[in-house]
Amino acid sequence: METIWQGIFNGLVMGWIYVLVALGLTIVFSIMGIVQFAHGEIYMLGAYCTYWIAVVLGLNVFIALLLSALIMGFVGIILERLLFRRFRGQIEGSIIVAIGLILLLQTIAAIGFGTQDKWIPTTIAGALNIWNIKIPWERALSVITGIILVLALFLFIRKTKMGQAMVATSQDIEAATLQGIDVNRVSRVSMAIGCALAAIAGSLMGAVFGVQPVMGSYAMEKGIAVIILGGLGSIWGAVIGGLLLGLIDGLVPLGANTTVASIIGFSLIVLILIVKPQGFLGHE
Amino acid sequence: MKLSKHWGYLFLFFLVFVIPVFIKSEYYLHILILSVINIILTSSVRAIAVTGQVSMGHAGFKCIGAYTSAIIAMKLGLSPYLSIFVGGLAALLVAGIIAYPITRVKTVYFSMLTMFFGIVVTLVTSEWRSLTGGTTGIINIPSFGTIKVFGMVIDFNSKLPNLYFALILMVIVLFFLYGLDRSYIGMTLKSISQDDSLAASIGINVARYKAIIFCIGCFIAGLAGSFYAHYWGILNPDSFSLFHSIYLLIYMIVGGTDRFVGAVIGAFILTLLPEVSRVFQEYQPLVFVAVLYLVVFLLPRGMVELPHQMKPLIRMFYQGRAEPHAGN
Amino acid sequence: MLETKKLTKNFKGVQAVSDLDLNVRAGEIVGIIGPNGAGKTTVFNLITGYLQPTKGEVIFNGKDITGQKPHIIAQYGVVRTFQLDRIFHNFSVIHNVVTASHLYARIGLWEAAFDTSGYRKKNRNTGEYAGNILKLIRLDDKKDEIARNLSHGHQKLLGIAIALAANPKVLLLDEPLGGMNPAEVDRTLEIIGEIRKQGTTILLVEHNMQAVMKICDRIVVLNFGIEISRGLPEEVQRDKEVIQAYLGTKKDYT
Repeated sequence: METIWQGIFNGLVMGWIYVLVALGLTIVFSIMGIVQFAHGEIYMLGAYCTYWIAVVLGLNVFIALLLSALIMGFVGIILERLLFRRFRGQIEGSIIVAIGLILLLQTIAAIGFGTQDKWIPTTIAGALNIWNIKIPWERALSVITGIILVLALFLFIRKTKMGQAMVATSQDIEAATLQGIDVNRVSRVSMAIGCALAAIAGSLMGAVFGVQPVMGSYAMEKGIAVIILGGLGSIWGAVIGGLLLGLIDGLVPLGANTTVASIIGFSLIVLILIVKPQGFLGHE
Repeated sequence: MKLSKHWGYLFLFFLVFVIPVFIKSEYYLHILILSVINIILTSSVRAIAVTGQVSMGHAGFKCIGAYTSAIIAMKLGLSPYLSIFVGGLAALLVAGIIAYPITRVKTVYFSMLTMFFGIVVTLVTSEWRSLTGGTTGIINIPSFGTIKVFGMVIDFNSKLPNLYFALILMVIVLFFLYGLDRSYIGMTLKSISQDDSLAASIGINVARYKAIIFCIGCFIAGLAGSFYAHYWGILNPDSFSLFHSIYLLIYMIVGGTDRFVGAVIGAFILTLLPEVSRVFQEYQPLVFVAVLYLVVFLLPRGMVELPHQMKPLIRMFYQGRAEPHAGN
Repeated sequence: MLETKKLTKNFKGVQAVSDLDLNVRAGEIVGIIGPNGAGKTTVFNLITGYLQPTKGEVIFNGKDITGQKPHIIAQYGVVRTFQLDRIFHNFSVIHNVVTASHLYARIGLWEAAFDTSGYRKKNRNTGEYAGNILKLIRLDDKKDEIARNLSHGHQKLLGIAIALAANPKVLLLDEPLGGMNPAEVDRTLEIIGEIRKQGTTILLVEHNMQAVMKICDRIVVLNFGIEISRGLPEEVQRDKEVIQAYLGTKKDYT
């Protein structure tokens, strides 16, 4: 009996990380309209950044996390300006740019940090004990962080002017411009938020499963899957989709293994794409 | 003009089929074989892409073909010359099963669908240990053996005959695809690619044509995969990952999607590039990226554009040279 | 020949078309007019299978074609043009028409694949057939030009040529005069008249009132998806409700 709860909990841990990745991705995709396939690499670099600041520089891990989010947000803005803006609307060009970026960033990470796993330490050792399940604090952290960030994002979108502007831009850029929204500024903020979320997600994953140069591709697969499940542009869709996928990945390995979990998860995605491509909650 | 065009093709033909004899390095023969396989794969993915269906799972069909051919040859003792067609047919079958539902979706969803399909194929291959050997894969796949042709003994355990076989396969596939491209069917496909609503309004069954070209493209991928299995002798799921599918698309785009020959050029150059730049060791991917970015920024229509873009430069060069002599 | 019965389309609470009963007799030219947003193009989309009706039926020559796929409806002989220029941009003019001629030529997939002698004969006939259509549409002097280089007016004509090449029994023209200057309008009206003389029934949607009055045998007026008047052009012109509907949008009163 315990193992099922363990499985559920592990599923939630991974699920919230997926949610964060998917949120960042959906913001970048739907608001900026760019095919940012290299989003996973931002996630990966965010993890390395936190690692570097926390381990090499020796700062407190939470500060490292924050700094990493800020830095990657900034990096995102630069990338958007230099590369993606130029190929906006050109599918073929954007794909090449994104793939090139993936290779570039992965190579830089591999050269800079080597291919061996790195670990992000969490200063909170020990574990919780709820109903006989051991919950290591570092894992509980992702759940807590995930919930906080989603709520924060939700409030931001609902209550602030910028948030509303983001929604408007994601639905119709021209209409948004006509309403007087500075689309470029919205793009910059969105990119920054998206990349910051990716950096945090990557760092959380790095604490639990380690940091490798290739972790980005794995995150992207899951991220896109979540967006398809939940629908592009929907926050709650990302939450539901991410948790669902996470639960599958947490529970199935109990009976089979992680590969089978992925097979089930992705086959589900294929079916959804055939039957209802907009996902459960998506518009468009 | 026409005559020189024909001589040009003849010369190219000669180059392609005679030069390999002079290549002694096993390593370079191997790279060439891989690039020929990639040419076949990229051309087939382009054929599908013409109708607006950008398949991000093409390597999955290569995988299906490869494993099917290897397993049939090993478990049933079928000759590789036949099992490669079985491999192709297996890919065709799978493509046929999923074709109808997936050709009806919008282009973006098609890409995502094929991407996840390709991933699932790879995952299933690594999971189904009893059939496919899982992540360790299959080894000792029978090669094309030794045959006697016109009194000569051809031993496929060495690389050169495999290269020729690959080249012959490539020529056949390219001929077929090119013929298709220029035929009535190709024209219908091109009309679908330009405006599928318009095509439907004049009675063209868009979904059916999309499905047909999808199946053809996947059959070719299966065939190429099967050849690869018997050439290389070893298979494991890593050779058919998502990255391989994406690389095919990169070859296609960088070469130039507009022209048929773009896929050939892109596949050839970009397969060779990483090997040629191996000297840079861990920095090698950066060279690749540099080339990608050079093309995407300077040659938006792909490498096929290069001669076209070079013309004004060449003209300027020659004019500069000729100036002092120009009498006027 | 072409009927709709209580044709209705709802979009998330907005009734785009309500209970439309149309009846187009063979050899007629019927026009659908109405202010912007009256649902005219939606009607076309419903008839030709680009949209599924919420309620109602579409009947062609006694056969129920409601909600079938666009290419099947085209194969029955109901062919439409599009309001926004839809042509095959990268093909030459003649090639556009030849591509569309395959319905007339009934070239099957396998024939084309194997390049049979039957296929080649059909190809030759198609070329002639396409040429004749271009002559009718008065585009034959431009037949080798690439479609995207044509002027807007010529592109619209090409759109009609494409639809015509598909051998329709009923031709649905969606705003064929859109964006044309008076000379082009007159020429297009002549061409439409000649198409009718050849025996094709025509249903058209248009904004240009004068033109519609000139060429149509009968007119149906829509406003907010509901039919508010029908009949001969003179009758409709005098109908009070029609005048009221249009008073809001003066520019349609050309």
